[in-house]
This record gives sequence, C-alpha cells and structure tokens, in this order.
Amino acid sequence: MNQNVNLAGHGSPVGVDIKGVNLSFGSTHVLKGIDLQIKPGEFFAFLGPSGCGKTTLLRLIAGFESCQSGEVLIGDRDVAHLPPWRRDVGMVFQSYALWPHMTVRRNVAFGLEERKFPRAEIGPRVEAALDLVGLLELAERRPSQLSGGQQQRVALARTIVVEPQVLLLDEPLSNLDAKLRIQMRRELRLLQRKLSLTTIFVTHDQEEANTTSDRIAVIEQGIIQQVGSPMELYDQPANLFVANFLGVANVVAGTVSQEGDGLSFRSDDGAVTVALSAAGQGPRSIVFRPQNLTIQPAGQPAPEGLTELAGKVSHMEFLGSVVRYQVTVGPHFLLVDSAHQKGVVPMEEGTDVNLFINNELVIDLPN
Amino acid sequence: MISEIRKHPGQMAVMVLITLFLLAFLVVPVVQVVFVAFMDATTGGFTLLNFKDFFSTALFRESFWNSIYVGGMSVLLASAFAMPLAYFTSRFEFRGGVIIQGLGIIPLIMPPFVGAVAMMMIFGRNGSINLLLEEFLGINIPFMEGLNGVILVESVHYFPFILINLSAALQNIDRAMEESAQNLGCSGMRLYRRIVLPLAMPGYVAGASLVFLKVFDDLGTPLLLNVNNMLAPQAYLRIASIGINDPMGYVISVILVVIAMASMWLAFLALKGKDYATVQKGGGGLAKRRMRPIEMFFAWIIVLIIMTLVLAPHIGLSMLSLGTIWSYSVLPDAFTLDHFRAIFSETPEYMTNTVLYSALAGGIDVILGTAIAYIVLRTKLVGRQWLDYIAMSAVAIPGLVIGIGYLRTFFDVEVPGMDGQSFATWWVAIVIALAIRRLPYALRACSAALTQVSVSLEESAENLGANKLKTVYRIVIPLMAGGILAGFVTSFATAAVELGMTLMLVSKNADGPLAYGIYVYMQSAAGRGPGAALGIFAVLVVGLCTFISHVYVDRRQRALGMKRDD
Amino acid sequence: MKKSALGYGVAIFGAALVAGVLAAPVGAFAMEDKLVVVTSYPKDLTGPFKKAFEAKHPGTMVEVLQKKTSAGVKYIQETASGNTSDLMWASAPDAFEVLKNDGLLAKYTPKATGIPKNIGSYPVNDPAGYYVGFAGSGYGIMWNERYVKAKKLPVPAEWSDLAKPVYHDHVGMSAPSRSGTTHLTVETVLQGEGWEKGWATWKNIAGNFKMVTERSFGVPEGVNSGDFGLGIVIDFFGFSSKATGFPVDFVYPTVTTLVPANIAIVKSAPHPGAAAAFIEFLLSVEGQELLLDPAIRRLPVNPATYAKAPAGFPNPFKDKSIGAAVKFDVAKSGARYNLVNSLFDVMITYRREDLAAAAKAIQEAETALSGKSNAEAAGLVKEARALIAAMPITEAEAVDAKYPGVFTSDVFKKRKKASVKVPKRQAEVEEKWDSFCLKNYKDAQAKAEKALALLK
Ligand SMILES: Nc1ncnc2c1ncn2[C@@H]1O[C@H](COP(=O)(O)OP(=O)(O)O)[C@@H](O)[C@H]1O
Ligand SMILES: [Mg+2]
Repeated sequence: MNQNVNLAGHGSPVGVDIKGVNLSFGSTHVLKGIDLQIKPGEFFAFLGPSGCGKTTLLRLIAGFESCQSGEVLIGDRDVAHLPPWRRDVGMVFQSYALWPHMTVRRNVAFGLEERKFPRAEIGPRVEAALDLVGLLELAERRPSQLSGGQQQRVALARTIVVEPQVLLLDEPLSNLDAKLRIQMRRELRLLQRKLSLTTIFVTHDQEEANTTSDRIAVIEQGIIQQVGSPMELYDQPANLFVANFLGVANVVAGTVSQEGDGLSFRSDDGAVTVALSAAGQGPRSIVFRPQNLTIQPAGQPAPEGLTELAGKVSHMEFLGSVVRYQVTVGPHFLLVDSAHQKGVVPMEEGTDVNLFINNELVIDLPN
Repeated sequence: MISEIRKHPGQMAVMVLITLFLLAFLVVPVVQVVFVAFMDATTGGFTLLNFKDFFSTALFRESFWNSIYVGGMSVLLASAFAMPLAYFTSRFEFRGGVIIQGLGIIPLIMPPFVGAVAMMMIFGRNGSINLLLEEFLGINIPFMEGLNGVILVESVHYFPFILINLSAALQNIDRAMEESAQNLGCSGMRLYRRIVLPLAMPGYVAGASLVFLKVFDDLGTPLLLNVNNMLAPQAYLRIASIGINDPMGYVISVILVVIAMASMWLAFLALKGKDYATVQKGGGGLAKRRMRPIEMFFAWIIVLIIMTLVLAPHIGLSMLSLGTIWSYSVLPDAFTLDHFRAIFSETPEYMTNTVLYSALAGGIDVILGTAIAYIVLRTKLVGRQWLDYIAMSAVAIPGLVIGIGYLRTFFDVEVPGMDGQSFATWWVAIVIALAIRRLPYALRACSAALTQVSVSLEESAENLGANKLKTVYRIVIPLMAGGILAGFVTSFATAAVELGMTLMLVSKNADGPLAYGIYVYMQSAAGRGPGAALGIFAVLVVGLCTFISHVYVDRRQRALGMKRDD
Repeated sequence: MKKSALGYGVAIFGAALVAGVLAAPVGAFAMEDKLVVVTSYPKDLTGPFKKAFEAKHPGTMVEVLQKKTSAGVKYIQETASGNTSDLMWASAPDAFEVLKNDGLLAKYTPKATGIPKNIGSYPVNDPAGYYVGFAGSGYGIMWNERYVKAKKLPVPAEWSDLAKPVYHDHVGMSAPSRSGTTHLTVETVLQGEGWEKGWATWKNIAGNFKMVTERSFGVPEGVNSGDFGLGIVIDFFGFSSKATGFPVDFVYPTVTTLVPANIAIVKSAPHPGAAAAFIEFLLSVEGQELLLDPAIRRLPVNPATYAKAPAGFPNPFKDKSIGAAVKFDVAKSGARYNLVNSLFDVMITYRREDLAAAAKAIQEAETALSGKSNAEAAGLVKEARALIAAMPITEAEAVDAKYPGVFTSDVFKKRKKASVKVPKRQAEVEEKWDSFCLKNYKDAQAKAEKALALLK
C-alpha cells in the first residue's frame, strides 16, 4: 500500500438521520413512514426482499429521489435542497455503472477531477485507491476487460477515492460468485473499519447483512420491521417476518392460554403443546430455531425438563457441520439440526423419533 | 473460408444474396458510368491523367476545400441544433418530448425547389427576417449568401440525422451511468460532455458522419442557391451539360465516393477499440431523470428557439402555399386556399406513389441494413467489412449517376411477364434505386443500434437454446427496434423527397412521385403556390406516416417491456 | 426480346426504311391511341395543349413527361435502343442540335401554311428539316417593382444599362451552359458587337451580377421573390410572372434575339401518326392562338394569329426592332457552341465573386474620377477595364476546329480513328483560361483600388 497517501474519511465520520419519510411513485407508495438513525462510523445494512424499497431509500439519501414528506439529515444537515453532486455521499451502484469509454484509471480519477484536485495529487490518490482494492496492475484496462469482482472493486475504488462522508452500497456483491462474495464482504468490512466510514449496505441476503453490519434495518413493503444488531434480530425478532427472514425458523401457529398458574401454547391442531413462562395470550405463533431442538430415536430415555414431541423423520440433509432433519409432527414439518461427528450414522427417513425443546428458547410472537 | 461456410451456411447465403443485390443495383450501374473517369479520351485505354487534371485545376481545388469547409461547418451547426433537443427529450422527463422528436424529423422532408424558395423568403437578403432587421435595426445579415447559405440550409435540413441517431443512443444509456457521475460531483454541461455524450458516441458519430457525407455530396442545395464552386455541383454541371461530355464530372464523382469512404473510415477509427455497450440489463435502469423547474424553463426556451429556426423553411413553405403573392415583403400580400384547390385533382396519384415507393424503399433498407449490420458486427465472414463499405458508398453517388447507370444497365432488360416493359423504366426500378440511395442511412442507424446491444444478451439467448435466426428475431431485433425505426424513418422520409434520380427514371407521369410533381409545378411563376401546397402535402403525409410508425414501434416496445411507462 | 418480337421489329424497321427512302410523309401513318411527349415546358403550357389536342383527336391519349431539358436529352439518348418517346418539345435549339447530331431525330416537314421562313433573324425551322419551330420568344429584362422602388433603382431599357454602377449586386442571369435560350442571347451580343467587345459587355454586366442561376427558371424565381431586383430572362417568364400577379415588369431591349421554340419527332417513334398530328395541331390556327394565353405567352410563328392578340402584345413580324437588329450566323454559333458556354462559365459563372469585386472597385474609382482630372488614376482605371475585358482566346481560335474539338469529344464513345488527335483536354484548357482571368480580375481590382486611393 502506498504510504504517502492516506485515504481516510473526513476527519470524524457523520451520521445519517431519516425522519418520517414517505415516498411514492405515482400511486405506488414505496416508502412508508421511515425513521432511522444511522450512527457515525457505523456499518449499517438495509435488509429485505427484492422490491421492498431498499434501493429507493438509498437513492433518496444519495439525492436521486425526493420524498413527499419527511427529511434526510446527513451529519445533522438537511440535504433536501442539495442535488446529488453536492451531497458528498459515495454510492456504488448495483450494476457498478463503470463508464465503458474510460480506462479503470480514468474511471477512478473522475471524481477527483470533478472536485478540481490538482493533477499532481490525483495520480497518487488514484494509485492508492487502486492499491487498496488490489487492482493497481489493471489500471489501464477498460471495464469490459475485467471480471465481475474486479469491476466491483473498481466501482468501490472510484467511490472511496473521493473520501465521501457516507458510503452507500447497493447490493454490491450480488453479481459475484459465492466464494468471491464471502471474500469481498470481509474486505468491505475491513476497509470500512480502516476508513471508519459511515456505510449503508443494501442487501437481500441476511447472511451478508449479518456478517458485515453493526446494525441492520429489516424492511418489508416499504416499512421498517425492526432495527438492531444481527444477534438481536435473530434472537429477539420483533415479528414473524423478521423471524423468518433472518435464519431458519420453525413457526407453529396456535393459541396461548392460562393453564394452572402458567401459560401454555397449543397449536390449532393440538399436535404441539408447549408450556411458556411469559407470553401474550390469545392467538399466537411460537418460533424456535432448528438448533433449539434435540432429536432421539423413539424409545430412548427422555432428558429432564424438556418438552417432548413425537414425530417421524421425513427428510434428511447433510450440511457438513450439521445434519438437518425434517420431522413430521402432526401436520407440521419441523427442522432439527444435529451436530455431525465423523463416524456417526444419521437416522434414516421413516425413523420414529422424539424431539425435545427447551421452553426457555421458544419465542412467542403475534400472528 | 470453407469451414466458415460449413459452420454457418445461413449467414453465408444471406451475405451472398446481399452482395449480389448490391452488385446488380449499385456497383454495375455506377461502374457503367464512372469508368469514363479512368479512360483516356484518345486511346480508350486506362489513365489517371484526368485525376492529375483535377488537382491541377484551381477551381476544383477551391471547390474541394469549399466542400470540406461546408461539410465541417454544417456538422457543427447541425450538432448545435440536434444535441439539446436529443438530450432533453431522451434523458429527461420532458413533456412534449415525443412531439419534439417527431417535429425534429420534419426538416428532412424538405421538398426540393420549394424548400429553397421558402428559405430565401425567410432568410434571404430580402427575406422576412432581413426586411425586419433593416427596418428596425438598419442591418442586413447575409444568412443565405454564398457558402453561409449552403451551411445554414444544409444543417437545418440534415440535423435530424444527428437528432435521430443521437436520441436512439441516448435512450440506451443506463441511468446509473449518469447517476454515478453525479454522485461523484459531476453535473450539467460537464456531465453531458464527460459521460453522456461519450457514451452516445456511436449514435452521434453515425449521425454526424451522415451529415458530413450528405452535405459533402449534396448537389441540390448548392444548385438551388446557385453556389457552384463546390464539388458536387461541379460534378453535376459537367455531367448534365447538354452536348458536353467532359470526363471531369465523373472524375469528381469518383473523388466524392473516395472522400465519403474516407470519412466513414475515420468515423470507424474514432469508435474503434472503445466500448459503448451500455444496455446491460435489457431494459431496466433506463428511466429518465427529472429537471428542476428552473432548468425546465431554460430547456424549453432553448428548445423553442431551435425548433423555430429549424422549422422556418416549413413555416415559409406554409406561407407560400397559403399566400397569394409574396414578393419583397415580410409576409404574403394575402392568404388563399386556391393553391390547395389547384392541386387537389391530381394529388392522389403523386401521393400514393410517394408513400408506396418510399415505404417499400424504407422497408428494403431496414431489412438490408439490419442484415448487413449483423453480418459486419457479429459474424466472422470473410469480406464482411466490404459489404459495409459498398453499401455505404451509395451515399456518395450522385442521384444522377445512378439514374444514368440504371438506364444504361437495365434499359434492355425486359421485365418477365410484362410484355415489353423495360426494367429501367418500370416503377420498381425507382423503388430499388431509392432503396439503394437511402440504404446508407438505414445501415448506419442499424449498426449504431446493434453496437449498443451487448453481445452477452445474445449469448444468453443462444445459451438457452435459441438458434442464430431465432436469437436475431427474438432478442436482437426487439432490442434494436429503436435504431431500426430511426433507419426506416430517415430512409422513408428522405426517399419521399428525392428528385435528381427520379427525374431520370420516371417514364410516365402516372409513375411520378411527389418530388416530381413539385418539380413540374415549380418551373413556372404560376406554379409556385401550388408547388408549395404540394410540398406541404408531402410534409404532412410523410410526417403522418412517420408518426404512425413511431407510435407502432413504441407500443410494441412497451408491450415487450422494453420501455417503462412514464 | 422474343423471337417473334424481333421479327416484328425488323419488319417495322424495314417499313420505316422504305418509307424514309420514298420520303413518304410521316402523316401517312394511321392515328394511334397514344402519344408520348418529352418536354421541358411547365404544366401551364403543356396542359392547355394536351386538353385541346385530346378534344380534337378523341381516342388519342397524350402522355406528357416533364423533364429538365438536359435530363430530357439524356433520357432520349439512353433509351434510344428501345425508344418509347414520340416527341421532344422544348425551347433550347441546342438540345435539338445534340439529338440531331446523335441521329436520334426523324425528319419532318410540316404541312401548315402561312408560316414565314424567319422569325426575327432566326430561321423558324431547322434548315436540315429535323425540328420545327412553333413559337418565338425574345430575351429581355425583368424587374421587381417593389425592389426597384425600395432600392431607388431606375428602370433599365437596354442591355448596357445593366452595366451601370447603380445596378451593382442587383442583377441575375442563368448560365448559358444550362439554358439554350440564354446561350442564344449571349451569342447574339457576341455576334452583334464582335468577339472582344461583346465579351467585354457581358463581363461588365456580369460585374453587377448577384447570381448566375443554374436553372433558367431560377432567374424569374429570384426576381419574383425579390431576392434580386433585375433579371435577364426570356419574355414569357416575365409575362407569365406578371400575369400570375407578381409585382414585376418586362422590357425588350432594342437588341434582342427572337428564339424559336421547337418540337421534333424522335427517331423510331412508337406513335408517328399521333406525333405528326400533334405538330400540325401546334401550327394550326387553333394551336397558335393557345400561345396567347397569359400564362403561356409565347409569340406565335403564324403572323395571322396576332390579329387576335391583346393590346400591347409584341408582334415581331410588324415591329422589326424585335430580334431583327442582328444578323444571326447559325453556322458560327454552332461551331463554337460549347466553347462559348464553357468560356462563360469559366470567366463569369465560377468567378462571379472575383469579377464582382473588381467591378465594384472600378465603379467606385470611376465615380470618384468623374469631374476630376487625374491622369494617373484615369490611366489605372483604363488599364483595369482592359484587364477585365481581356480574353484568353481570340475569335479565330474559337471557331478553329482544334479548339472546339476539345469540347465536343464524346467520352463515352471510343474515338473512331486513332489518327484524330485531340490536342488538349477540356480540363486543361479551362484551367488555363481560369488562371488567366483570375489573375486579370485580381490585378484589375488592385489597379482600381490604387486609382481610388490616388483620388482621395
Ligand atoms: N422510478 C420508479 N417508478 C415507479 N416505481 C418504481 C420506481 N423505482 C422503483 N419503483 C418501485 O418501487 C418499489 C421499490 O423498488 P426498489 O427500491 O428498487 O426495491 P429494492 O428493495 O429491490 O431495491 C418496487 O415496487 C419498484 O417497482
Ligand atoms: Mg434494489
């Protein structure tokens, strides 16, 4: 890495505040009452299924869209009146949008030229940025002569070389292969740490969001479902959507009612009953993760203090570290993970089994 | 070679067919005429002496530089007209954009003779504008004097080439290309100059090189403005003189062709090795930007000024057609509908002939244009580049040479099944000659469109099991539709007002197209009004046809999801 | 061609040959149902004749093919192998000369009576009998009333008036190489005033040209629009413009030519009977009277017709000043036809700007000189005038077969005998003339400017 030029954010990083934003395209209401506070230097993800409005929100921050109500503050400054080219937020587009008529070097130098940097300074900065993404030797190529991953890095270099206040990434990894994706997301994270740059990362892939971000906003149908750290979202999902969207979840719908001095959940068909210590009453669903369950062939002694469910293995998947069983319990298909060790023979399909669940790990959520 | 044929027998067959067509209807007739340039008058042997004469003649050298100068200046002025119109209407949500695009094509439909008279009435030394300027400011601006006049008329007439091709290219640019530049601090003119225009280069160069070529080879405008120290009119004057058969006319024709090829080659070099394929997502990301109200205001002012300027000939034409006497005055003395009444009885046949001939010619052109563009850009067939060169060379052949060449080549060819009908004087010959003359327009537009279609889109279709033909039909052509339409419209509209060649080949009044009818009228004082009325009619009919084809392709594109409703 | 058709063609050809040998009148053929006329005339002229002819000969359809004269000639030349045209109908006698020399016209002697041998000093019919004059037209000056009023110009009466400084940049004319009738006007002045003086007159007038147009109709068009004020035009352009309502007028100068307008039967015409009938109709009383129509306005060749003419209609058979001043030498004109055209183009059409600039300088110097006596300046102006007038070739050279030979070589046909050496190539000769004139014009301008400087 070039030691003479140091690419770093603007002194201290800034936060992004989004207050009560509503945005419609014609009659389609795309963003509905969005409130978000992104802290300075934070790596923040917008996570949600395709079409939920993530890109739109990102483009709003970058200045390419304008909202009907609400405001966007970047470092406490309302940016509503600022056109995109004055906002000083760097955006990496999903398609990378590298200009095909310019070489890699010219692409990266572009933003500096627009900012009227002296020639003598542009060269070293471009080299530093290219070095940072490991593409120094490809500087004279044209974008069409690069692979997807290389293009992605050029797009990134092009954006960070101007040292924006905020970095916006729109599904930057979606065009890459799985291996590269994992490598790139680490690099992104490292780079963000190094530059301590407030970063907003848009993705529909929860694993990507989990592995990179400090905090995540889960968005669905233009509404923020929950904001929190990856672990919070996983362990304490605010609703069924979040529970389902982050990680694998077993969801059973039923009713919670008073039973003696405790509460008890009973699925609508009666196949699953679980005692709960604290929960809302009435029609509810319970959620538990595959690793919350233990599985035994029928007839083996039951462990203490766990709820037992009887079922039959209907499907088995070997995932490497674990074996995932699909077990039929009444009308339900429950997923159970069992850690895999060398030499252990998995249970075959059709085997009668008992499942045990720790009541403490069960989450109950409104339907 | 052999293995190529074996691998792609279909492609090879198409190429051979097209080559034969071009040989028969372009190369042979032209060679029949221009071989004279290389013939020693005394011995009948081969000589280059005539070319030596060309370069040692002061008048020809002067004409040569004048032509280059007029060509270059016309490209500049035409770009100044076309760029704002294309940019505003293609990259922004611009109310009335479709209308502007439509009106922008009308200048191409400037009927000969009346067009020049109309321009004179407006911009001439004693035209409306100068009469007003003299009265109020005491000045007279020589818009129409000498080369100035040629430059003004040519750029007003031909700027639509840039408009059409540039617009098609601009519409194909992914919005993220601009946005990422804006995101990096670039805006306004710089954004246009650094990102938008370079990305639209294939379209712009296609348009600009066409403008240059056409202006360089155009003889109608200089002749009508009585400017003769330029190459094309010099060629014409020498070829068309009665009783004199000076080989210099043909020498100049050869030189016109050579320059035309050279400028195309330059255009090709300018684009070579660069990458412009910007449609990557097959239709997504092409949404238009929005202007702020103040920007919109200024954009409208610019658009209105340009539109008034470029439609001035048609405004003049309308006044000629509706005016009684218009002589040395700002406006006609009075207005009347008599001229329209006068043409009413005989217009239908001119009209139907014109629409029939130019629609057929335009159709032939886009089919050939798409096929040639595909062969040149997407196949590895030997000699494919030559196909392009030969087809494009038609742009440089004066209509008169084609006309004489057709008579010379086909007069003794009888049309089978039509007793004694000579092919040269059959109306189909007019159609083919028109198609050959206008093929370069369609070809350039199709090439530009194909350049912008990323190869990966085709590859993915082939990968999914579509054969070459299916891929072309289902993927390439729909993606090229905008460019193909641009090609059709230019070929169609300009074929409708072609005169030089028509005048040679029409053998029956009943076969005559509109331009011929206008010519017939415009040779007498009393015919000026009716001629102008016929001209207006031509503009309306051709304009209407253009509009309909626009709407049709637009619908199709929407139906195919190529275009978002906005 | 199919075999039977070929046989048929031979039969026709044989018949025609026999007919030709026996000099049988063409009119002996039966009247056909169709007639194809190639013409350079506007609709205004052809329309009434077509209508009247068809009315008189029901069952015969007249097909009129409007083409520029040059395109018409080329068309007939190129289609000669399977000719479909019956008549060539146009003004320019040179077009007919070209067709005649190519052997593309058939001889025809009209039967109509009462038509004199000459109109003005020009023979009505081709002495060799290949084309027939049906009307006359004279050259003159046309001007735009509004234009001359706004620019405060006097109304001209004579050719020499047009050389006056007051008309600088106000005059238009068509190139003689593009218009046969214009050629005759140029030639008339050359014959009337002599080679050197005649050309000097033309160059002095040309010094005032705003434009040399490429179509003969370009001149009336420019005057009608008011683009330039005065034009040298053939009379019917002036009269028909006026009749249409344009604010223009026309005058015959005392020295004018009357040019016949012609018609000829194309060789191996498919409808010779109808063709002959059409010529006879043109020359008939009825046909001649049609010429008086204000939109047509040609001078009939039958003197009797003038009785029906409206007041003020010029009558060349009575008013001997029209077209009679010059004894026109057809042979001389023919011998140097192309050379004169080319000279005019080289000296005037293509060098109009240089010539106009020199003329302007001389006119200014002369104006400044009037009333003053400055021998040196006067000498300079005289030298300048002489430079303008200087000719690259003499009259003797112009009619010498060697020179015109350069201009009549047909590049499409191989020279018959290699021994017929062409001395020079046209481009070579023209380049010599051009550099000669250009240098003289520039020198003349410099001298005139020097004279003007002396007078200040
Ligand atoms: N310019 C536009 N006009 C109309 N609708 C749009 C526009 N851009 C996006 N949308 C719609 O807004 C919704 C959100 O889009 P987007 O923000 O791109 O979603 P994603 O979360 O996949 O990035 C989608 O339903 C999309 O169709
Ligand atoms: Mg998105």
